[in-house]
Amino acid sequence: MDAVIEVKDLVKEYIIVKKESGLRGSVKSLLFPKKTKFNGVNGISFSIAPGEIVGYIGPNGAGKSTTIKMLTGILHPTAGSIQVCGISPQADRKAVVRKLGVVFGQRTQLYWDLRLGESFELLRRIYQIDQQSYDNNLAILTEVLKLQDFINTPVRQLSLGQRMRGDIAAAMLHSPSILFLDEPTIGLDADAKHAIRNFIKEINRTRSVTVILTTHDLDDVEQLCSRIIVVNNGKIVEDGPIDSIIHKLTPHRMLVVELQEPCDDLTTPHAEIIKQEGLRIWYQFEKERISASELIAALSQKLPIQDISVKEPNVEDAIRVVYKTTATV
Amino acid sequence: MLQAYWYITKMKLLVNLTYRFEVFTSVATNLILMLASVFLWQTAYKGGSGSVEALSLQDLTTYTILSITISTIFVCDVQNTIYSKIREGQIVTDFYRPIPLLACYLAEDIGEMFSSLLNRALPLIVFASLFFGIPWPSSFQNFLLFLPSCVLSYAILWLLSALIGLVAFWVMELGNMGNVKDAIVRVLSGSIVPLWFFPESVQTVSKFLPFQYTYQTPLGIYIGNTNVIDALSSMAVQAVWVGILYLILTAGWARTKKKTLIQGG
Repeated sequence: MDAVIEVKDLVKEYIIVKKESGLRGSVKSLLFPKKTKFNGVNGISFSIAPGEIVGYIGPNGAGKSTTIKMLTGILHPTAGSIQVCGISPQADRKAVVRKLGVVFGQRTQLYWDLRLGESFELLRRIYQIDQQSYDNNLAILTEVLKLQDFINTPVRQLSLGQRMRGDIAAAMLHSPSILFLDEPTIGLDADAKHAIRNFIKEINRTRSVTVILTTHDLDDVEQLCSRIIVVNNGKIVEDGPIDSIIHKLTPHRMLVVELQEPCDDLTTPHAEIIKQEGLRIWYQFEKERISASELIAALSQKLPIQDISVKEPNVEDAIRVVYKTTATV
Repeated sequence: MLQAYWYITKMKLLVNLTYRFEVFTSVATNLILMLASVFLWQTAYKGGSGSVEALSLQDLTTYTILSITISTIFVCDVQNTIYSKIREGQIVTDFYRPIPLLACYLAEDIGEMFSSLLNRALPLIVFASLFFGIPWPSSFQNFLLFLPSCVLSYAILWLLSALIGLVAFWVMELGNMGNVKDAIVRVLSGSIVPLWFFPESVQTVSKFLPFQYTYQTPLGIYIGNTNVIDALSSMAVQAVWVGILYLILTAGWARTKKKTLIQGG
């Protein structure tokens, strides 16, 4: 099937004016600004198939939001091409945004002074949604996102979690085929996060909406995304299924053993001791070479073991490795 | 699409009607301004020097009352809307809707205009009438000409404001530019002192600027200082200015969109 989003060699160049300190510096930079060019996005290519949930992640300032803004047609790329549903967002922004739902976690598209339902009514008119599909959509969204308690509350009085749910509903009213979520769970409590993740899974399953998620919350990524694209310094550093990326970046696992009494010889040929605190020992082992159960069996033959736990590397560890190794490209 | 604009206007109107305190302060400040101006003119005319024969005191009082009243109706928030939305990065949310931004802002301003008509202009006129008598137009015909002229005035003012808003896309520190423009408009539009009192040279220069066509033109028509032919020809000039500013705005807007820069990661 054809890709819904096709990005080729995308570059976005920013011009930064360096300001020098002090009065003299201010005057100088006012008269002769020192301009330096900087590539916020530097040659990014990827394609996304319909129905995928893709995590687009990277440290602050990696170029995530810049990419999203170019995909939605808000920013114009310096070079490269973008196709969203076969249309260039730069050439025909209005046609593209009709197919998109966009949620920026730190901003709201709802009208501050209006009640939530009135904001929806306005969107119905803006997107020219016919009454029947609007009613249908709203009924479904109300049920899944539990909007009924606050649909008549002015937006400024909503809690962050409520507002976020309102924003997501607003982005879905016109049945977009692609949903961009920029940090949708930022600052939310566990309950609200859960509701939002469920909702994303639900619309992906029932309506096969393609979802692109940028976030710093790696739990979101772990629970939702089948694929992640990691960017750093404006370049893609990893792109693939989440499991294989974790595996590739952090091949190690950790076995934490608590002993009943001190022992002299703690070493084992299968694993490496990386930390010891009293009766607790941390063994690091490669999951390719030995399984946890084998290691436990080997250890329990020579050591009086009280308690044991295995630590899986998680996305967070993997991502930290990526960020670190690609920090100064 | 039109439905959407109408909904924005309607909602803005309804929301604004609930802001009571702001209305009270606005009416109070404008009333003070009105009283001060009229008393000032009365004192000036008492001096009895023949130099101000261009207008009678009654005409000038009407002019002043009307000027302050229509200034509360001519709502041009677009420059501030754009400026603050850019500063907060909020403008992105308006960009990913399939609807022209500026038209939405116009719809908001028009909504506010309707609400101001009810809760600002109306009380002002009532109070003014109590103090100085009802400010009647010079004739019914002049009143009929005054209305379309006001619409053209508003179009000029709004386009100027939108142009200032556009500058915010290019210069992040818009700062006081809006205030500077407002001050220029206030003086050169004749909204405080009619330009007829200004030196000949200023009047000549002013003819080639858009400002005097925003307040002086409709107010001059209202008090009957301009005959029908002059009124129609100055309305033609107004229309030309609307056309010119509209073209500048569309061209500028197209360029701005290409170069958009939005603050915040």
